[in-house]
Amino acid sequence: MKAFKYLSPTTVEEAIAFHGRHSETAKYIGGGTDVIVKVKEGWMEPDYLISLKKIEEMSELHKNDATGELSIGAMVTHATLEKSLMIRNEYPIIYDAVSNIGSLQVRNVGTIGGNLINAVPSADGAIPLIALDGVALLHGPDGERSVEVKDLFIAPYKTVLKPREILKKITIPPQEPHTGSAYIKFGRRAAMELPLIGIGVLLTLDDDDTCAKARICLGVAAPTPMRAFDAENFLVGKKIDENILIEAGKIAADESKVRDSIRGKAWHRKEMIRVHVRRMGLKCLNMIKDNY
Amino acid sequence: MSKSNNELSSEFSVVGKRIPKLDAAQKAMGRAEYIQDIKLPGMLFGKILYSKYAHANIVKIDTSKAVAFPGVHAVLTGEDVPKKMKMGLIKDNPPIKKGKVCSFRDEVAAVAAISPEIAKKALGLIEIEYEELEGIFDPEKAMEKNSPLVHDHLKSNVLKMPWNIHYGDVEKAEKESAFVVEDRFTTTWVTHCCMGTSGAVALFDASENLTIYTNTQIPSLAHKDFLEALKAMGLENKRVRVIKPVIGGGFGSKLDTYAYEHIAILLAYKCHKPVKIVFDRVEEFKATSTRQPTVTYIKQGCDKNGKLTFRNMRMVLDNGGHTSWGATTPSVMLMPISSLYRVENVKYNAKCVYTNNTYSQAMRGYGNPQATFAIESSMDILAEKAGIDRIEFRRINKNRSGDETPQGLKITSCGLEECIDAVKEELKFDGKNEKGVGTGIASLIHVGGGARIYGSDGCGAILKMDDYGKVDIFTGGTDMGQGLDNITAQIVAEELGLLAEDINVVHSDTDICPWDVGAHASRSTFVAGNAALGAAKKVKKKIQDFASKLFDVPCEKIELKDKLVFVPEDKEKSMTIGKLLRKAHFRPGGTMLMAEHFYDPDNQNMGKELKGNMSMTYSFGAHGAKVKVDEETGKVEVLEYVAAHDVGRAINPLLLEGQVYGGVVMGLGYALTEEVTIKDGKIMNANFRDYKLFTAKDAVKIKAPVIETIDKDGPFGAKGIGEPGCVPTAPAIANAIYDAVGVRIKDLPITPEKVLAALKEKNG
Ligand SMILES: Cc1cc2nc3c(=O)[nH]c(=O)nc-3n(C[C@H](O)[C@H](O)[C@H](O)COP(=O)(O)OP(=O)(O)OC[C@H]3O[C@@H](n4cnc5c(N)ncnc54)[C@H](O)[C@@H]3O)c2cc1C
Repeated sequence: MKAFKYLSPTTVEEAIAFHGRHSETAKYIGGGTDVIVKVKEGWMEPDYLISLKKIEEMSELHKNDATGELSIGAMVTHATLEKSLMIRNEYPIIYDAVSNIGSLQVRNVGTIGGNLINAVPSADGAIPLIALDGVALLHGPDGERSVEVKDLFIAPYKTVLKPREILKKITIPPQEPHTGSAYIKFGRRAAMELPLIGIGVLLTLDDDDTCAKARICLGVAAPTPMRAFDAENFLVGKKIDENILIEAGKIAADESKVRDSIRGKAWHRKEMIRVHVRRMGLKCLNMIKDNY
Repeated sequence: MSKSNNELSSEFSVVGKRIPKLDAAQKAMGRAEYIQDIKLPGMLFGKILYSKYAHANIVKIDTSKAVAFPGVHAVLTGEDVPKKMKMGLIKDNPPIKKGKVCSFRDEVAAVAAISPEIAKKALGLIEIEYEELEGIFDPEKAMEKNSPLVHDHLKSNVLKMPWNIHYGDVEKAEKESAFVVEDRFTTTWVTHCCMGTSGAVALFDASENLTIYTNTQIPSLAHKDFLEALKAMGLENKRVRVIKPVIGGGFGSKLDTYAYEHIAILLAYKCHKPVKIVFDRVEEFKATSTRQPTVTYIKQGCDKNGKLTFRNMRMVLDNGGHTSWGATTPSVMLMPISSLYRVENVKYNAKCVYTNNTYSQAMRGYGNPQATFAIESSMDILAEKAGIDRIEFRRINKNRSGDETPQGLKITSCGLEECIDAVKEELKFDGKNEKGVGTGIASLIHVGGGARIYGSDGCGAILKMDDYGKVDIFTGGTDMGQGLDNITAQIVAEELGLLAEDINVVHSDTDICPWDVGAHASRSTFVAGNAALGAAKKVKKKIQDFASKLFDVPCEKIELKDKLVFVPEDKEKSMTIGKLLRKAHFRPGGTMLMAEHFYDPDNQNMGKELKGNMSMTYSFGAHGAKVKVDEETGKVEVLEYVAAHDVGRAINPLLLEGQVYGGVVMGLGYALTEEVTIKDGKIMNANFRDYKLFTAKDAVKIKAPVIETIDKDGPFGAKGIGEPGCVPTAPAIANAIYDAVGVRIKDLPITPEKVLAALKEKNG
């Protein structure tokens, strides 16, 4: 493993400045559960690791009661999200995803921001944030800009972030009433498992029980986390029942771009999308019913 | 109802007690010294370069840049390896290959340098020109006439080790059978996943004697291998000392000597410095040996009453590119094939076939898990065809004390029926299950009283007592985490009336400890235990002789207990053992109490006819699983697991349960998740992300009822239990899945994909 210097700026501006000084050879680090693995394996050889841990605002998890907007600092750990009752009750899809990441040790240090910026197709944290219409707030040398989480990813390990840009936080717009959401990681093991396929569903119903909004988001179904727009469009405006969800599952499976890999076969992944869109959809309906 | 494991062996003071592993604190506190911790003055670090191809000619090697790299002390290629330095069962494997490589794990060069990083960099500077050859990766295809040859000088890829056995008359028995079933089962590569990776440190003294610290389960046999290596290097009549540090797991993986050990020796000799080679995790996956994959064809039948009439099995084993002990696993497979349940007519044919895959070795169960998967799956299929309840079917055919099986195994103590009953009772086999839930059972037989594979199946022990009542025992046996240290201490303490903590067990150093064939075949408790017991008995006799004179009573009247030597009928005649030892020692013509004992069980080598009682006794068991199958995903959840074993006697129920729990979890991985994925000879999942070892969260609750049959030959009646825990796990799960959803998976591991595909096929 190559030696590196570890810098701990306390503001975003300072971090960007550090990065500017060492440009090519510097790398941001959150919890380091992806970065340090790569450094140790020699896939990445930075001279400087710029930690974002000491930037206090980036570790804030906060819901604005007046506006209903949720703000998740990029440095919020999976464990913090998992333990938050507010998250568990109001954003069950986030809880479902983060509480099954890696192991307790990994969740204690791994951050939601790192999960997004690492940008693997299997990122568990990305799916719920896309389903919730999350918006990423980026801060670079030229100031701030916003990008929807669904548009953050370009390819495996590649995001729209410009050099030196920092993901500061993710905001989630207020949730409509009669909304349910759920995520499942389908894998072989109960822990330390990347999903063979990840399925997140969010449904909002109108007062007359027709579907006002649907989000069907898939991990490992394409080179980047994806939304199954056809399936979503199919649901909107319909009265949702199990048969409709079965149909939506089929459509989502069809529009996915799953592949064969050593981890799993495409046909099985498709099946799992089909089955779990229905299961997660039903879970959403039950949540909505329970909360009436 | 079987006794609770807490109520066993109440007649003893130390035997049967749940004494925690003697080195537990050392390990828990990070004080135990593993190979990784060993640092010697001037030590260099070795690294190995592996082949880029599964099958290729080496056209040219240029090491000049590596040699010139600052910090590099030596670079070796196949040219530097003495001609006679070869490893493995039939010595077909030089530690560094020359001319040709026949698997990705073939070593092509090695470097010693002042740091592991420099050694690694230097490997990158070695330039090799290969000429790629067509590879062969399917053992059944490798048997075909025009298949590419893995070893050109051999005319065929089939090893010249035919396993061809016929007891009774299988053809006749088949004709007379009321019911016959026939199937094909397959198993794939799995690996031991030792938490401590492999490694060795070799050094020569000024007189060219070798000391090697190495992760081994066979100090004495490794000693022999390294003596031969020195001889090949022209160092005849030199000494070898093998020291095994604490190891993080064996499971059979360390039953042979490996290239990294021989390379460390060559580098240390060349550099005149200690050389250390330690594997990283990727290397551990890629360059250590797996359990052998098998293709099994099984046919068996029974009469109309459900009595087994014959069993006919044929197997093809993937040997990989070189031959290690994996090629001898048919000898152990033969045991369940010929002797799990009463069956008079047995045929078995096995072929080991060279391929350009990784080569296999010993792994917990030594072939038994593969064979039992086929046998016990087929037992259920046959029971169903005959219309007999699967538990009843097993009962009808159970082994019994006094049986001699067609192979010539003499069944002495046998608790198979009690094991089956315990499983039935715990899992409520008669109860109705909800949809998607099912139960399965599978039994096992395994060697429990040594296994005579070499000329000797023996183990030596030397015991000395100090002046205070403490014991040092030097045993040939090797503790590798399984608990031989406790077993030895508890047996000696019981015999001498001491506490386990009074016994210091010294093992795994060939300069100090007597010979032993190795920690394999579930033999250590039985064989090393008997060796320790024999030495303890001799010392006890000496104590009694001395006390007899002191107390003026006959020897037989003297007892040892609670650190006292005493005459039960005469309260006056009592003395602490320490005091007695001092009285014996500090006097004119004094003596210290010591003894040695070499125990070699009275078991038999299987001769050319492959017949003979290879073990003094056999361990039995039955496993039962309750599973829930998600019929939409194919995922199997294990709800309950029962693993009942006849162990003779539990010397230490705590460690025994540990062996069973560990074995079962290993077996569950074998059944459901574990697989070294190899594509055209290349390992695709050399990491714990993609090699699906069970995690703590996946582990299931296991009940481990112990059946005690007090074996007449075992130390305090004990039999071996190291391996059985993982033997019948896969068929128990496969049978439970069938019971749950009606699909029979014949290929391990039983992945959700396979289950779902089978369900789809069944449901149309
Ligand atoms: C054993 C193990 C198990 C795992 N299991 C899972 C799992 O089940 N599911 C899953 O999704 N992931 C898993 N991971 C991957 C990893 O833990 C997660 O992706 C985690 O969320 C990464 O966060 P981090 O803070 O550790 O990222 P880091 O390693 O610190 O950073 C990851 C990347 O993001 C960049 N980065 C980090 N923060 C910022 C920021 N604020 N702005 C700009 N760039 C930034 C870094 O430069 C780097 O490129 C696992 C990892 C390990 C080692």
